[in-house]
Amino acid sequence: MKKFAYLSSGVLASSLLLAGCAGDSPSDTGNEGAEDSTQISFIHWRGEDKAVLDDIIAQFEDENPDISVEMTIYPSEQYQATGQRLLQDGSTGDVFTSFPGAQFEAIASAGLFEDLSGEDFVSNFDQELISVGQKDGTQLALPYQLVFNMPVYNKGMFEELGLEVPKSWSGFQEMADTLLENGITPIAFPGADIGPNQFMNSMMMNNAPDEDVFEKLQNGEESLTNEWWVKTLEDFQLLEQKGYIQADALGTSQDSAMAMVANEEAAMLATGSYHMSALLDLNPDLQLDLMAPITVEESEAIYEGINTATFMLAVNSQSEKKEQAKEFITFLSQPEIASQYANETGQHLTVNDVEYESEVLQNTAYWIDERKTRFQPRFLITNAQIEAAVLSSIENVLGGADPMTAAEEAQQLVEENRE
Amino acid sequence: MRVSKSIYLFFLPGLLLYAIFFVYPTISALFYSFTDWDGLSSSFQFVGIANYERAFTGDTIFRKTIGNNLKFMLVVVVFQTLVALAFAMIVLKNTKTTIFLRALYFFPTILSSVSVAFIWSFIYDPSLGILNQVLELVGLGFLTQNWLGNANIAIYSLAVTQIWFHAGQMLIIFVAGLQAIPDELYEVAKIEGANKWQTFRRVTWPLLAPSATIVVAYTTIQSFKAFDLVFAMTGGGPNNSTQIVATYIFDIAFRSYQFGYASAISVIFMIIIAIITFLQFKALRSDRISY
Repeated sequence: MKKFAYLSSGVLASSLLLAGCAGDSPSDTGNEGAEDSTQISFIHWRGEDKAVLDDIIAQFEDENPDISVEMTIYPSEQYQATGQRLLQDGSTGDVFTSFPGAQFEAIASAGLFEDLSGEDFVSNFDQELISVGQKDGTQLALPYQLVFNMPVYNKGMFEELGLEVPKSWSGFQEMADTLLENGITPIAFPGADIGPNQFMNSMMMNNAPDEDVFEKLQNGEESLTNEWWVKTLEDFQLLEQKGYIQADALGTSQDSAMAMVANEEAAMLATGSYHMSALLDLNPDLQLDLMAPITVEESEAIYEGINTATFMLAVNSQSEKKEQAKEFITFLSQPEIASQYANETGQHLTVNDVEYESEVLQNTAYWIDERKTRFQPRFLITNAQIEAAVLSSIENVLGGADPMTAAEEAQQLVEENRE
Repeated sequence: MRVSKSIYLFFLPGLLLYAIFFVYPTISALFYSFTDWDGLSSSFQFVGIANYERAFTGDTIFRKTIGNNLKFMLVVVVFQTLVALAFAMIVLKNTKTTIFLRALYFFPTILSSVSVAFIWSFIYDPSLGILNQVLELVGLGFLTQNWLGNANIAIYSLAVTQIWFHAGQMLIIFVAGLQAIPDELYEVAKIEGANKWQTFRRVTWPLLAPSATIVVAYTTIQSFKAFDLVFAMTGGGPNNSTQIVATYIFDIAFRSYQFGYASAISVIFMIIIAIITFLQFKALRSDRISY
């Protein structure tokens, strides 16, 4: 009996241990269908791009029969929590993507980016737009998408009402008053999720034209209680008090805000160009373009909009399949493949010679070359707690707080979190 | 009866799992709480008690999250316990209707928290949400609110969702506790002329104490760890008004990459939960039950 007890408990313990270790087995990540090929792992957060990326991967595997790609997509929040940690042992994320800003800095500090400087495929990208993936003179990541984080507006509605895109803050208010008189909410603001972190960029771009303002905030040379930020908060307050954004904006999700614009109850969606194709899916009759509020007088305006080069492609420095990973990035950076990705996802890209076929991409492509845009200021805040403090001050004002009080409270958090 | 020593070997698998999944992470958290590890790098520095010092003296948001957590916990513990107990008494007898009702009340418990968050975010939506529309429809338009967008009430809106989500689970514990009370005691109470309140106060409640202790302790721990609902419904906003300790730990560890500091907060959080649970066990005195 004693022997049986020893044996059975030993067997049970061993099986549990083996079961627990099963996840580490190479067979879990192996490609059953292609025994001779090297499988690379590609991780990212763009669930909405799955179909087109599946197709692109199939083309890549046809062209490179000795390499297969296993794509894993995480929700963007989870990607920050789980995806990066998987990079550490090199078994996952041979090719991975990164957000600019805090995430890029953290991965760079951990040494998980392979240096891509000098690789042939780097020249396939617009050199100016990929500078955000550089650190200390090395090209660590290559932003693939170019998005405009500024309001999308209903161009058709503007034409019907005889409205022109305002070039000053007073003009913006006149335009918003006209929309209100016609029973239309000027701005649908998804305050419950991405609204504050997207709209803050265009609201502050001319109030603080210094592109180093957040770097200075982080090192103590600037303060949120200074005019540039207090004015931005006052402008937000004005939007709320005059009804230029919908009532209860802080409880509105992006789906609800999109529905308002698609149903033509609101004229602008305070998110970005990445929502244009989704809006057209909801209402194909919409004519859309981009417009950022100019919060200063026309003569003082420097910037017309916001751009972000994001979805930064990178190779894991811990990977044992770096060459195959680079082959995949080379493939993604070919103009015809990039064009397919751009047109099927409705995104502008940083790759050279992309042909935009969709009407909405063609109609907004002038923002790439002809308009003065600046890189998304929020992504220049590399300390996530300071970023949260900045965003909370906007929520505080939209919740009814005085702009200066909100700025002071946020500044206190900045000081607590300064490194 | 003599127990063979070999019987202790049967504890081994469970003990092993407990050690791997509970003891080891706890000790790791304690270890990292004295470091500045960012969660990604292979190296780190020991910083002594600096992380604890920061949590207690230099972190306004952490103090706010403790306050939010206490508000959330108090509302959930009180109302979830009362709701579960009231419904348990209604569905106590084993009839077809009550068995159906028990299943119905238990139903939310089997849903995933993301589904619950999605459903309730839609219910609470200020423009499209069904709650405000129903209030308007029945003439209570003055009660309509920006349920998740108003920093003064958002935490309570989340608490209501949490109660809806988990009350069914507690109801089952109460039903089991109520059914274990011998009928003879109720007969004696009836013969003695006790009214319904006196019967509840003198018979039901004292004998239900072990179940109530479990419900209250479990609800407390559950409400402290209500990460998923808060994360999915508000992400801690607006203006940190629904930020609870669990979501804050996530932010610090995985958005700010301050794993060492997040570990220190986790250790403090664990101690707070342990103290509150201990006090609840003492207060409810579940060991003094006798027939």
